[in-house]
Amino acid sequence: MRTLAGTRSLGQAVLALAIALFLGLFLVVPVATVIYVAFTEKGGGALTLINFLDFARTDLFVRSFWNSVYVSAMTVVWASALALPLAYLTTRFEFRGAMLVQTLGFLPLVMPPFVGAVAMQLLFGRNGSVNLLLDEWFDFKIGFMEGLNGVIFLQAIHYFPFILVNLSAALRNIDRAMEEAAQNLGSHGLRLFRRIALPLALPGYIAGASLVFVKVFDDVATPLLLNVKEMLAPQAYLRITSIGIDDPMGYVISVVLIGVAVATMWASAQVLKGKDYATTQRGGGGLARRKLKPRESVLAYAVVILILALVLAPHVGLLLLSFATVWSFSPLPDGYTLAHYARVLDDSSGYIKNTLLYSSLAAGIDIVIGGAIAYLVLRTKLPGRQWLDWAASTALAVPGIVLGIGYLRAFYGVKMPDGTPLAALWIVIVLAIAIRRLPYALRAAYAALQQISVSLEEAAENLGATKARTVRRIVIPLMTGGLLAGFVTSFATAAVELSAVLMLVQSNSDAPLAYGLYVLMQTPAGRGAGAALGVIAVVIVAICMGLAQLVADRSQRARGLDI
Amino acid sequence: MVRLSALTAGVTLGLILAAGTAFAQTGKVTVVTSFSKDVTGPLKKAFEKAVPGATLEVQNRNTNAGVKFVEETKANNQVDLFWASAPDAFEVLKARKLLSPYKPKATGIAEKVGSYPVNDKDGFYSGFAASGYGIMWNERYVKANKLPTPKEWQDLTTAPYFDHVSISAPSRSGTTHLTIETILQGEGWDKGWRTTKEISGNLRQVTDRSFGVPEAVNSGQVGYGIVIDFFAFSSQGAGFPVKFVYPSVTTLVPANIGIIANAPNKAGAEAFIEFLLSPTGQEALLEPTIRRLPVRPETYAKAPADYPNPFKDKNLQGLLTFNAELSESRSAAVDTLFDQLITFQLEPLKAATKVLHEIDSALAKKDNAQARALAKEARDLIAAMPITAAQAASPEIRAAFSGGKEKSARQAELEQQWAAFAKEKYAAAKAKADEALKLAR
Amino acid sequence: MSKPARAVGIEIAGVNLSYGATHVLKNVDLAVRPGEFFAFLGPSGCGKTTLLRLIAGFAQAQTGQVLLDGQDVAPLPPWKRDVGMVFQSYALWPHMTVAKNVAFGLEERRLPRAEIDRRVAEALDLVGLSDYAGRRPAQLSGGQQQRVAVARTIAIEPKVLLLDEPLSNLDAKMRVSVRRELRALQQRLGLTTIFVTHDQEEANTICDRIAVMDAGTIRQVGTPMELYESPANLFVASFLGSANILGDGDGISVPAGKRLVFRPQHATLSSVAGATLHGPVTHREFLGATVRYGVRIGGSEILVETPFHSGAELRTVGDMVGIALPPERMLYLPA
Repeated sequence: MRTLAGTRSLGQAVLALAIALFLGLFLVVPVATVIYVAFTEKGGGALTLINFLDFARTDLFVRSFWNSVYVSAMTVVWASALALPLAYLTTRFEFRGAMLVQTLGFLPLVMPPFVGAVAMQLLFGRNGSVNLLLDEWFDFKIGFMEGLNGVIFLQAIHYFPFILVNLSAALRNIDRAMEEAAQNLGSHGLRLFRRIALPLALPGYIAGASLVFVKVFDDVATPLLLNVKEMLAPQAYLRITSIGIDDPMGYVISVVLIGVAVATMWASAQVLKGKDYATTQRGGGGLARRKLKPRESVLAYAVVILILALVLAPHVGLLLLSFATVWSFSPLPDGYTLAHYARVLDDSSGYIKNTLLYSSLAAGIDIVIGGAIAYLVLRTKLPGRQWLDWAASTALAVPGIVLGIGYLRAFYGVKMPDGTPLAALWIVIVLAIAIRRLPYALRAAYAALQQISVSLEEAAENLGATKARTVRRIVIPLMTGGLLAGFVTSFATAAVELSAVLMLVQSNSDAPLAYGLYVLMQTPAGRGAGAALGVIAVVIVAICMGLAQLVADRSQRARGLDI
Repeated sequence: MVRLSALTAGVTLGLILAAGTAFAQTGKVTVVTSFSKDVTGPLKKAFEKAVPGATLEVQNRNTNAGVKFVEETKANNQVDLFWASAPDAFEVLKARKLLSPYKPKATGIAEKVGSYPVNDKDGFYSGFAASGYGIMWNERYVKANKLPTPKEWQDLTTAPYFDHVSISAPSRSGTTHLTIETILQGEGWDKGWRTTKEISGNLRQVTDRSFGVPEAVNSGQVGYGIVIDFFAFSSQGAGFPVKFVYPSVTTLVPANIGIIANAPNKAGAEAFIEFLLSPTGQEALLEPTIRRLPVRPETYAKAPADYPNPFKDKNLQGLLTFNAELSESRSAAVDTLFDQLITFQLEPLKAATKVLHEIDSALAKKDNAQARALAKEARDLIAAMPITAAQAASPEIRAAFSGGKEKSARQAELEQQWAAFAKEKYAAAKAKADEALKLAR
Repeated sequence: MSKPARAVGIEIAGVNLSYGATHVLKNVDLAVRPGEFFAFLGPSGCGKTTLLRLIAGFAQAQTGQVLLDGQDVAPLPPWKRDVGMVFQSYALWPHMTVAKNVAFGLEERRLPRAEIDRRVAEALDLVGLSDYAGRRPAQLSGGQQQRVAVARTIAIEPKVLLLDEPLSNLDAKMRVSVRRELRALQQRLGLTTIFVTHDQEEANTICDRIAVMDAGTIRQVGTPMELYESPANLFVASFLGSANILGDGDGISVPAGKRLVFRPQHATLSSVAGATLHGPVTHREFLGATVRYGVRIGGSEILVETPFHSGAELRTVGDMVGIALPPERMLYLPA
């Protein structure tokens, strides 16, 4: 017996070590080479904590810190308000088009850099379509995009899919009898949701909400697009990318960002402790959905359509922009043309091919590693396994630029046999993207594994399957849906990743779509073409997501599982 | 680190063999640039035509990322040229010994464009074109809001422009930095900052990218932008309803190119510089999508009629002699001052400015000496600077930014002091202005 | 709760229910009397759970009516029906304590706190779980969970109690004791109760009357004894206890369209001579009080159980035997 346990944990230890090595090589070491500056005296290089003291003493940073906390928390609130109705209606009720809603609800996460921002400004900006019309009809404007509230507005739209995806997955797994029992005892409507469905789906919700909190806390692009600089992540970004000033504060802030991310993940883990309902939920009543009454139905569709219209408005704007001749200070473009697509299709097929290749490779790496970490943490007793999770989660908070610089530092000195630096190879871009998106896949894998009853695995072991074979024949098939969700999330967001990529791209032929977009968006004439490329990116992602859904549905049905 | 990296090399080797690598070809010239494809495309084509066998590999990076990239990859440098507008980026590269000196053989290149010397005095980088700063505006925006058409920088300090102007931060845009520096050198430290703050009091936003300004003007989110001319002209070219004007005293900023130290293809790099400065290369700058001002005076003969000519047009001649050394000596201080006094204190600054505008309009109707005096006090409070010109260029302050030994305070401490200074002064100015407004009404 | 509530009758009339192409309930008519312990008995897939869910409001019939106490409940959503249901999986909410689970329905009825506390205590006392109020469902055994589910349901003092295979997740020994508890509880409360099961022994032992269901139809309604003694059709005859069914081809004359049905213990073994039914013994099983023989008759094998006492004459496999049947025990049922 002892030897058996020995071999088991040996295999697990080897797996854990391999992952630790991967994370160490491609995340911890590169990042450490950059942010150690935070702990050194400027110019001198002696180790010190004085910089953190300076951080605490500087009004701007303290103000930025609280601004970031406020914006992140409020974004979670608003994102929840957007996600809850969509998730609940599409998972717990017979809702025609549920799959479409779920797919469309994911798209906001796929917003191409730069051009997405322009589209948003044209719609919701001070002189965007909405405000121009409001001004004309009612003589007032709404500051959608003004200041911190503007950031909250855009972030809620952008990141609510994280809550939608996680919450939906959790809601789907609630045994219908749980709700029926409550109805039978006199509960219904919102109270039923609040008292039964929501608490049972809490693990999924917390997973999504904590992800949103951390992402918003660490996001650079949206605040900068609104010219909001007094938040922590933009402060770090601005300082790190300023020329000629060797300022440790940018890295100090990076350390703070990483600290906040890890603390958030840790806190959410604490909240969820003892709330693992997997084993008590399955069995009996099946997962059939409730029916909506006609009146409820109308209301439900109205709510869903309204929310979708809001969250997809940026994509509509993007689409308009890609067909627009000129669009300036007017509710709609002056005219429409296909010229932008013609221009882009001409010379962007390389970008598209690269994007597909990089994103799918990166997402593949992510679900393998994410799944493995989830398994090690949830199903084994290896000491220190939690560290893998935490290390991987820090990737959420590492600014892309820091990772990019770290890769250059760590891998550029390593020469290939022909003299090209290791960091010049496109696979390095893939690794950087994979690391940046790993937390998404990791969360998805966690959620998927948490909802599989351990007894299913024990049954397999009882029937003679080894740990490894149990994983292959029971765990992975049951996790397919969750892993696929993780793959899609990683893939879709990887397709529009820019910050690390921009640092690492060495030649046009190796560049992904986001880089092509960046190049286009540096000129006024490139705006339409950039939008066209952005639309192409979104369409590609949407098609891939649709395919993934289809595969997931098939495999779920084949297993006789409801979806 | 080295050992770890070697290990990585081993680990990834399999992947790499599968991926396959493009071997450097003879004649491949690699350039890191912040210029857009509109600029690099035609020049690449012309260069490859002019120098048979040469190919130009363009890596697009914004200036900041470009500098970082060159710096981080110096151990195994693969880049031949750095090609961008901002002279300060080149100064940084030069100071860190990342450039290799080269004196172009081309003749007939002007010594100076406007007030700026074309080439680095130490020969580490060369100017190949110039661009002028000016004011760009969205006609529809201006018409809808019934706003005036600007002519001079001073116009931007007046009441109608309040909350309608956009600029990029000098810490983020080398060309904006030069513009601010020009104002400081032209008007003197205190007067220059006063003008800068008066314009800034009307700002709608301070962007973190140079292109953010024309982008906002083009889409009509902001009325006016302080931009480099080619942004405005290419916006017009793309059909946007925008106009542009060079104020009578404008600043011309050069665009530069320099060879990276240890360039793998130094001969190719030199060939490209020579091409840029050659008559063919200079003429290519006249193309509508590029539209930069050549540094070869004779090229203007081939330019369209209304093409600005810094060697003839009065307003582009430059009234002062730009002191590059002075600029270099305080560049970090100027950037940081702008950020701490303006960018991160924009709301209080605007709040005070708004009241001052209201006072002006009230005083125009009914004069009040006391209010006038109070308003002046408020303006002086806004204009107050935490440090003098001499301090800004002093070794103590420079060391705070560079990490040198002489520093009297750390950068973070300086920033906090300056921010606190500005916050206090603006609040006091607002209080005074409020008082004045009551009197004026 | 301590006092018996006024018991309520349930009537089901002309109910048809389909899920897509599947006709789950076909023309179901049924009347459950007030205070009755009633069972829906049938093989899995017969529609018994659907019928139960129809009463609770979780399924909608295309035609027909469900009357509770004479009132059509069709317009009422589940939460307004006052029909207590115990789910097969118990559906205890893992995020609430036992007491919270039991209090849930009372809270939904906005009862005063003191009243809720009193009734939770009573309900838990009734099922003997007073000491477990603060536990989470996951910390209880299966039997305890089942009793929490019952307590949660009766706490709201429902008009009727519906039990969906409540014993199926318990071990054999528990089942016997729990079913007795259920019966005792039902008697004490005087509550009209419907019990869904596929186990005839469960139905027989605790229910007043049983509706035997098959393929969406009710095949017969009656007391356990009536069903056993005089099944109305072959399905009921063979589903309740064992039955020998013989047709025309088995060397016996049976009216056209009918089958001869009799219970193994009603037949006796006789000599071959003079017997209408005879054949070889194919196997013998000793069951303690009886001995069961298998006898091949024509193409069928029938079972005969004879009482066992010491010294009784035993047949061995291969013996030719005749089978004697009292005429009053011979049932001719439609094929």
